[in-house]
Amino acid sequence: MKKELVKVTSLYERFVHWLMAISCLLLCYTGLGMMYKELNVLGVIFGGVGGLKTVHDITAVVFAVGLVLAILMWWKEAGIFVFPEDWEWIKAAGGYLWHLDHVPETGKYNPGQKMFFLTVALFGLLMIGTGFFMWFPSYLPANLVDWIYPLHVFGFVVIFAFFFVHLYLGTIGNPGSVSAMISGYMEKPVLRMLHPKWYKEMEHEGTLIVKK
Amino acid sequence: MNGNELVKLIDTTLCTACRGCQVACKQWNVLPGLRTKQTGTYQNPPDLQWNTWTLIRFQEYEDKDKNFTWIFRKDGCMHCTDAACVKVCPSGALYYTPMKTVGVHREKCIGCKECISACPFDIPRYDKATEKVYKCDLCYSRLQENLPPACVKSCPTGALTIGPKDEMIKKAYAKVEKLGGDANVYGDKFVNGTHVIYVLQFKPEVYEELAVDPKVPTSAFIWKDLLKPLSLLAAGGVVGGSLLHYFIHGPHRPHPEHMDQDNKKQGGV
Repeated sequence: MKKELVKVTSLYERFVHWLMAISCLLLCYTGLGMMYKELNVLGVIFGGVGGLKTVHDITAVVFAVGLVLAILMWWKEAGIFVFPEDWEWIKAAGGYLWHLDHVPETGKYNPGQKMFFLTVALFGLLMIGTGFFMWFPSYLPANLVDWIYPLHVFGFVVIFAFFFVHLYLGTIGNPGSVSAMISGYMEKPVLRMLHPKWYKEMEHEGTLIVKK
Repeated sequence: MNGNELVKLIDTTLCTACRGCQVACKQWNVLPGLRTKQTGTYQNPPDLQWNTWTLIRFQEYEDKDKNFTWIFRKDGCMHCTDAACVKVCPSGALYYTPMKTVGVHREKCIGCKECISACPFDIPRYDKATEKVYKCDLCYSRLQENLPPACVKSCPTGALTIGPKDEMIKKAYAKVEKLGGDANVYGDKFVNGTHVIYVLQFKPEVYEELAVDPKVPTSAFIWKDLLKPLSLLAAGGVVGGSLLHYFIHGPHRPHPEHMDQDNKKQGGV
């Protein structure tokens, strides 16, 4: 049987998401190719290690634009924790680590998603800030320049690791959730499982858009 | 000289500031001279440049007893054993030659400038036109042919000499002993020994633009030895953890309570 689908994201949201996702991954790829001499070979498709730097610099500008749009769009929904309901969810680890009959209900974004958003937002800003001075080191006092490089790599450690958590939970860890960022629709049961409170709110407010 | 660990000794007490080395360096390495301004000193150009890999620094120095000395110090790459520039270079453009000097594969340089802030001696210089970094390579092309570097070849006073490491360090200490007073050998005790060493007449802190305690920056260790491997370890841990989660805990699937009534009848997922 065909399941009922609920609209969960707008075209604009998906555009910003993929703008950031693609630029972020390209930045990881080109950055890894420069950080590890052993991975310098990744530069072959860009005409050498110099190409990695050029692509990294240009992509950084795209990422910066995407990040600003994302922060403007999502900070109210995903940037602020709501207590006590978010705290209940955190204490239950969202039901991900041990089996629970009932996962505490949260709003549109659960605290895990909020943490990812905040991490990307804050560390993304760190990457842009440090990256700017890596690009133009003469704008910074010489004794500070040394420290922007480890800061940039620290940001990468956090974002790169958290990216895989995001990838897992957005795909095979929560079957049916990935369509939210592709078609913009989610199957009703999946939505009711992952965002029960938000589903009820939309139902209550009459903003629920269902495609049969 | 090929294959040996070489050290170039700069005996500042023998230098007359003829600047023959500066010219010979430009000549051998085909580096242009750029127009500069008279700033009231013979030190010209005012600083190292992408096209000036060695420079005689002129310094008027008066000690506590008002004894005047005109100090001449040849500045340039020190060719560290533990070179911060090689440590941070992302493309392998900066490398250790078999003679333990620090060479430059210019074609590999991507102009990231990471070596510039890392160098404790403030040596590498960036050229906007070619978008690459330049510095002395101790005339590697000459060393390979058993020839002394152009600067050493040109030096008329014997202030510049090159030879096997042990020999040159011995020679430096012998000279320092002869000089007495504050005279000292500079270069053999830090960054695991440099391959350019000085005989200095005065304490290092007297000299302008000379690092008193040069070392590979702490930030470079945190960056390259800690955070860099951590980035792949952390990501690998997360990927492994996710797969473990998938197979042990299993993905989230809707329960019957999440199904609509009509879906429930059909059994749902």
